[in-house]
Amino acid sequence: MSTLTTLQDIMIHDYRLTRAQLAPEAELSTLGIDSLDMLELFFKIEERLGIKIWDEVPSSLRTVHDVVVYVDDLCAKQAAARDAPVPNHRVTPP
Amino acid sequence: MTLRSRIIASRRHEAAIMQRVAITGLGVVAPLGHRVEDLFTNLLAGRSGIGRLRVSLQEKLHTPIGAAVDFDPDEYFAPQRLRMLDRVSQFALVAVARAIVDSRLDFSTEASERCGVSVGSSMGGALTTDEGYLSLYGERSERVKPYTVLASMTNAPAAWISIDHGLSGPNLTYSTACSSGAVAIGEAARRIRSGDADVMLAGGTEAPLTFGVLRAWEAMRTLATEDRLDVSRSCRPFALNRDGLVLGEGAAFVTLESWDHAIARGARIHAELSGYGLCTDVGHITRPTVEGQANAMRAALRSAGIPAEAIDYVNAHGTGTQQNDSVETAALKAVFGAHAYALPVSSTKSMHGHLLGAAGALEFVIAVSSLERGAVPPTMHLDNPDPLCDLDYVVGRGRTDLSLRHALSNSFAFGGTNAVLVASAPT
Repeated sequence: MSTLTTLQDIMIHDYRLTRAQLAPEAELSTLGIDSLDMLELFFKIEERLGIKIWDEVPSSLRTVHDVVVYVDDLCAKQAAARDAPVPNHRVTPP
Repeated sequence: MTLRSRIIASRRHEAAIMQRVAITGLGVVAPLGHRVEDLFTNLLAGRSGIGRLRVSLQEKLHTPIGAAVDFDPDEYFAPQRLRMLDRVSQFALVAVARAIVDSRLDFSTEASERCGVSVGSSMGGALTTDEGYLSLYGERSERVKPYTVLASMTNAPAAWISIDHGLSGPNLTYSTACSSGAVAIGEAARRIRSGDADVMLAGGTEAPLTFGVLRAWEAMRTLATEDRLDVSRSCRPFALNRDGLVLGEGAAFVTLESWDHAIARGARIHAELSGYGLCTDVGHITRPTVEGQANAMRAALRSAGIPAEAIDYVNAHGTGTQQNDSVETAALKAVFGAHAYALPVSSTKSMHGHLLGAAGALEFVIAVSSLERGAVPPTMHLDNPDPLCDLDYVVGRGRTDLSLRHALSNSFAFGGTNAVLVASAPT
């Protein structure tokens, strides 16, 4: 399932919005989503996608599309971190 | 001007601005009723709202009983809103809306900064706290809902009331355990008396029916055991075989207005809030004292400016614990003397349970209704009298067709904050 669909599903359920209202270009503020709502939204996204959002939610996220791009970016980074070879810190004895 | 004459002048000034306090609205979300009329009718008929609870992990409770409210939050709140509101705030918002409708107040025509909110709650958003702990400690998750702080903070109910109704006057939350609701109403009345506010929405709210809270109360061994034959009879105030309180949930609010304000807008006045007395037991964190309770009642009578003999009905604190009921009886005798035996005293907790921080508010609403209807609700389940409790507890049957002028409502608390309110028929 795409990130957009996941995001839409959560918002349709929680905010009683329609998929049409949640087009990528839709502005979050006009949908009645404020910064507190965003916190809860990210809580649910973490749960669904198994990612971790440690940072503060950036205030630059204005549209549904912005959120999708932000989340996809995080997913990619965190997947890369998981797949990266574990660094070998063992000290070789002389 | 001498100092003495200055003091006299300033006292005269205080007396001149001292406002009478009108109760113009009542609203409840309570076991036994969502309308004050229904609640009072049920109480008069001796119906009990105490039953078996359905809470998670109830199999681990010794007595999973309580007085729950039949309440569907989706009827009142949109889902987006609901996620930020603990049950304690939901109750408060619905009860206060009912009090506002009852008082026919239109806040859009009021000076917002002259209108305030005063709420009592003992445990605040206990359900949200419980849920957070379950996740963190029970499920060993590091995830906790982002609204946990906002939903669980004890002043959330008061804050939401001000936000919803645009009231920018004082917004206060009192937490004095089982007297919180009475303190919230009494302190709100003082603001009106002093001329600091025109309208105060005041009351109490509590939603403690969760495993964590129930288990904690059980651990203190203050909860009643379940009556084996009839669970609804488990709370037995003033009876020899009383063995504890039964927790309940809900909210009760009153609209308080300065008398002039109420008259000017042609409001219906349910009663006057004529007296408020406060006194603290300082001996022990839980053990009540006759002196402390009696002094609170005396302070309330002084504040109402009436003699003890003028009181026609007492809604007792009457928790159903061994300690409270005998001490309260002795305190009533100390204050009322011979009149104590001629005075109907009832504990409605036998039916609606102990609403903790909302108890004092709910019982004050019941006392006001008693005045209005000329009727007093009974103390139920008192078949087995205690020789130490020998007053007229209106046993088993409510009384009607009475002429009541002044009613007193007692609220005592762990921590010792004893609060007493007096309501008087409007004159």
